[in-house]
Amino acid sequence: MTDFGFTRAKSSTVNLDEVDTSLYRKMLQVEPDVKRCMECGSCSAVCTAAPLSGMSVRKVIHALERGVDIAPMLSGCMLCGKCTMVCPRGINTRHLILSLERYYKEEEKA
Amino acid sequence: MKENVVIIGGGIAGIEAAKQLLLLGYSPIIVEKQDHLGGHVAEWHKLFPDMTPAKEIVDQMTSEIGGANVFLETTVSSLNRLSNGYSVVLSNGIAIVCRAILIATGFHLFDAEKKEEYGYGVYNQVITNRDLEHWFNSGKDVRIDGREMKKIGFVHCVGSRDLKAGNSQCSKVCCVTAIKQAIEMKEKFPDAEIYCFYMDLRLFGKKYEDFYINAQKDYGIHFIRGRVSEVGEKIDGSLQVKAEDTLSGKPLKVTLDLLVLMAGMVCNPRTTEIARMIHADIDTDGFLRSRNNIYNIMESDRPGIFLAGTCTGTKTVPETVAEARAAVLSIHNYLSR
Amino acid sequence: MRPDFHPFVIPFCAGMAFVLGYCFFGMIHILFQLPRRDRRHFLLSLVNPKTAWKNIRDIFLNCLIHVKLWKRNPLLGYMHSSIAFGWFMLILLGHVEVLLFAPGHLSKFYYPIFFNFFVAKSEETIGGAVLFFLMDFFLLVVLSGITLAIIKRVRSLWFGMRRTTRPSVLDMIGLYSLWAIFPLRLLAEGFTAHISGGSFLIIPLNWIVRGFLGNEVNMVPTWWAYSIALGVFMAVLPFTRYMHIPSEMLLIPFRNAGLCIRHPRKGFAKIQVLSCPGCGVCIDACPMSAKKANIKDTTVYLNRQIRRRNEKRIEEISDKCMMCGKCTALCQVGVDGPLIRQAQRSMRKYAVEKDYSAAVSPTPVEKAEVAYFAGCMTQLTPGISRAVESLLKKAGVEYAFIDREGGLCCGRPLMMSGRIKEARELMQKTKESILASGCKTLLLSCPICYRVFREEYELEGIEVIHHSVYFYNLVKEGRLKPTRSDIHFVYHDPCELGRGSGIYEEPRKLLRTSCYLVEAAKNREESVCCSGSLGSLTLGFADRKELTEAALRNLTSDIPDAIATACPLCRSTFRRYSDIPVSDIAEVIDSRT
Repeated sequence: MTDFGFTRAKSSTVNLDEVDTSLYRKMLQVEPDVKRCMECGSCSAVCTAAPLSGMSVRKVIHALERGVDIAPMLSGCMLCGKCTMVCPRGINTRHLILSLERYYKEEEKA
Repeated sequence: MKENVVIIGGGIAGIEAAKQLLLLGYSPIIVEKQDHLGGHVAEWHKLFPDMTPAKEIVDQMTSEIGGANVFLETTVSSLNRLSNGYSVVLSNGIAIVCRAILIATGFHLFDAEKKEEYGYGVYNQVITNRDLEHWFNSGKDVRIDGREMKKIGFVHCVGSRDLKAGNSQCSKVCCVTAIKQAIEMKEKFPDAEIYCFYMDLRLFGKKYEDFYINAQKDYGIHFIRGRVSEVGEKIDGSLQVKAEDTLSGKPLKVTLDLLVLMAGMVCNPRTTEIARMIHADIDTDGFLRSRNNIYNIMESDRPGIFLAGTCTGTKTVPETVAEARAAVLSIHNYLSR
Repeated sequence: MRPDFHPFVIPFCAGMAFVLGYCFFGMIHILFQLPRRDRRHFLLSLVNPKTAWKNIRDIFLNCLIHVKLWKRNPLLGYMHSSIAFGWFMLILLGHVEVLLFAPGHLSKFYYPIFFNFFVAKSEETIGGAVLFFLMDFFLLVVLSGITLAIIKRVRSLWFGMRRTTRPSVLDMIGLYSLWAIFPLRLLAEGFTAHISGGSFLIIPLNWIVRGFLGNEVNMVPTWWAYSIALGVFMAVLPFTRYMHIPSEMLLIPFRNAGLCIRHPRKGFAKIQVLSCPGCGVCIDACPMSAKKANIKDTTVYLNRQIRRRNEKRIEEISDKCMMCGKCTALCQVGVDGPLIRQAQRSMRKYAVEKDYSAAVSPTPVEKAEVAYFAGCMTQLTPGISRAVESLLKKAGVEYAFIDREGGLCCGRPLMMSGRIKEARELMQKTKESILASGCKTLLLSCPICYRVFREEYELEGIEVIHHSVYFYNLVKEGRLKPTRSDIHFVYHDPCELGRGSGIYEEPRKLLRTSCYLVEAAKNREESVCCSGSLGSLTLGFADRKELTEAALRNLTSDIPDAIATACPLCRSTFRRYSDIPVSDIAEVIDSRT
């Protein structure tokens, strides 16, 4: 390929035709309650790890559905349980996080 | 002799029903547990979307039911099914036999102390929508009087859409009430910055959307999409609230002089008690079950038991009034059968 | 004189040899499963006179006398100690008999067991009479225990057991052979009593059996039956719940040596699992059992599934537990179910790497002698932190609220999730933020934090104290003067403060200074978890409702006016479903000071 001295920036568009939602589907099996999320942001506001890694359960759920990588956010989570305690929809966020960390890129590992 | 119809609850639904029953030649009997008629509306200051004074509406409606029997500070002690109707025994000892009963027991304002992370009852700067209306009416509240109001926050959906608080339903009127109260506060404190923390703005009624646009355009009220989830005190004693600004995806904090919680509507515990007396069902949303939620919302599946207003779910004032009238028509049809 | 050997001893000898061999090799195996450091530590503890004495005492009291069971239910205690201690005495006295009357046969290990068959000794000497009397006496004791055991199978409620486990087929074989051993021994000795002597029990029996079945042909078959019953019991023992008998004798020295569970299936955990008698006390103890569907997730079933190597169920059971520790508190052998589960959780591999290297507390550093750390949970219950601050001000304590604007997590939730390595990394960061305050006293209002700070942090020179104890001390010193009200409070022992840290008295004494105190139906070490616990990974919000309601029923059995607790998480959980007010102990005291 000819080198023009520049490259095209990777498109920031979320292309729903191509996103990989396998982890999202796996998550729905493990913790079906995430479907109740209304993205109110309570979890993010109280999060102890938000200043550390930009952790936000709301964003994690949203990103998964759009096939966006979530590992950097999860890396700071301390599992303190504040998000579970404030969630108005009663989502077991700690189990969700643990399951995601466990099944993250499972296919690649296999 | 005119036929008795017992109306349980003297809020706007009960008053309107009594008025219509009188016009149709019945003898309505209102049983009200408080010492005045008008229910929650009587405690309010102004009503959206035209800022109509609530007192005007209640006074107007009450003046039209002179011929009705009204028992204030009275509750229903027992309700028994007879072969052709019901016998109602009141707490003042009076017993009434009637063929039709209208349940208009209304709603119960969610107890904001249950959402303890908001610090209602803990911090002096945290009040509810009802407290604010009370202040509008009476001009007296130590939590507001004499204090500087530079920043005011409104939290929508307190005890609404909240499974943990036991109410997963939308209370329907809080969004527009918050906008109304925000405008009123801005009028009283023109220099204050006002923030409304919402999850979804549900402005479905007549002129509500205009109301919302005016709030932004004419009053400069800020709308932040994110639910307040932690309220704390800073070392200087000021109140700090935390939320996520979900649209920018960033945690947000702001220091406030006053935080108003928009407590939602939940089923009145008295309603549940009365439902138990007549073995009426409670619907999955926690309110009374109607025979049909589309075309028969004012009838219960018990013969002779009719429903009006917020005992069957959250409603606005005009919806409640319209439903009271519809319920009276159903009662009339039932009694003339 | 009779022969030295008879073929009927073969079943017993085979069974005995098998079980001894099995236990010996099993023990060696388990010892080798211990990490090298632990093994060294354990072996050294055996020669330490203090631990050695403790081992002997504990084995005697727990394995033979079953003191813990006596405290739980005297009938159950008697049943166990009559069988265990009675049997032990029969074996011991059997050896004494051999030593006294047939010293040449001590090497034959079946001799003491079948002494009456091999040695004809009259009871006319004083020694003989006493020994025979004791033998008969202890046989009677064991038989009474067996009778109770049979009754227990039908009427377990008389023994204080509401629910128990269903035994497996092998368990049933073990059970029936155990039941058969002693009546058969009685019968066998009864047949031989006119030759080899006996006392008040077997001599009269001898008159009866000889009167009816005079034929001596019956003698040998009963000895055969006795030996076979023994042999069968020994042969199936390793595969039944009765494995707890030998296992517990190893568990006690392990525990006294202070070993930790490092692997969910090996070493210390393995001996704990084997020591589980499957009695099911933990079923009634477990707060999750309030919901019938959870009964199979109690510790007794965890142990059973681990023995059966049912990986799927082991994972489910391990993840569901709320880690309240009540099963351990009530377990007669002291199986630590929550720690086995925590070890199981720690085996899991996670694909996302944790990184706390940049973690800092968002609250600016403030120096003070007393540092108040509210913790994550108290940040969501501002009523508690306000009350704590108010009391500190009233007592004139100079303090710093070191996570006023947020802090780091204490690490206990990570530990309970089995993420031990990550927890240690985070704890290092949190420790730095505590040390930065330069405090001498670290005051905590959350028992979850309190436990981990006390157990894991090694904060030298800093007194780690829970607010219930701290405020009680201030009241004792006269720095806080609460006045009494007429309100009747019931105190709920939070799991991490009570069972977890052994603090039961101070909160009660503190509450008594400002209100009347009533007790819950089950309290202190038997307190029922509020079910808001962070210990459970999989229990969702809806699953917990019924459990919290059951805990509330237990609390309000004496119809108190209000509930007091000393944990923000318990307080929030109870408030959700309670009909009466729920307060933290700090709020109660603050309102009366």
